[in-house]
Amino acid sequence: MVPAEWYVILSAAVFCIGLVGILTRKNALLFLMSVELMLNAANINFVAFSQVWGNVTGQTFGLFVQALAAAEVAVGIGIILVLYRNFKDIDVTSAATMRW
Amino acid sequence: MTTRPRLKIGPHLLPGLAAAALFVVVVGVTLGAEFPDPQGFPEGANITASIGYAMFDVSIDRISGQTLVGAESFLVAFIVVAILLDAALDGAVLLARREDGSVREVVADGGREIRRAVGAATGDERDGDTARNGSREPSTTDAGSTGDGSAGDGPRTDPEGGDA
Repeated sequence: MVPAEWYVILSAAVFCIGLVGILTRKNALLFLMSVELMLNAANINFVAFSQVWGNVTGQTFGLFVQALAAAEVAVGIGIILVLYRNFKDIDVTSAATMRW
Repeated sequence: MTTRPRLKIGPHLLPGLAAAALFVVVVGVTLGAEFPDPQGFPEGANITASIGYAMFDVSIDRISGQTLVGAESFLVAFIVVAILLDAALDGAVLLARREDGSVREVVADGGREIRRAVGAATGDERDGDTARNGSREPSTTDAGSTGDGSAGDGPRTDPEGGDA
């Protein structure tokens, strides 16, 4: 059985890749993808420690995180749509004020 | 003169370095910590059923004939997430709606408006369907559009068997 440390390291790697995406990219879609990576990094930990403790609480919580991610993507895509409609671009730095 | 890519040193590398530093710290802490040996699940355990029973607060003591794994109850969390998803769906529709209130026009349009805009930008005045098929017949969208934003209220038929 794979030790929990390796899952935590994998999770940290995925989380840091998502963090790099958020810090360096300006495209709103890539932002969303990066946030998804960070949420899935948390999911890796949930599932790994579900195996460590021998119950399915972590896996069930992982499902809820997936639902949360779906809700976030639904709203995020809507925001990107409005961004494109108003600025003809999905560069997050082009929207510098709360109204236009 | 060589044209090979060169690494530009500058402050734009800071976010990547910060993330790499975070990764190194997490790996260091993880390798220095002690985790218990994984207990794993019993042989032949039905994990999917166990998750389902945990989600709907069904006691696994009442279930016979299956090897199940225990968990806490998540019924309240399930209801809360269901409401959250509903709210997110409403929010997405609210955001996607145009100022004139039309949503279905975009859905029923099948992307013709976008293709027309791209065609206009590239100098090809035909819309995407006619440009692709090489005919000059007006599309159903052109004939059915009233210009008041209500053109998409009913189902459209495409005589060319298009991809609407």
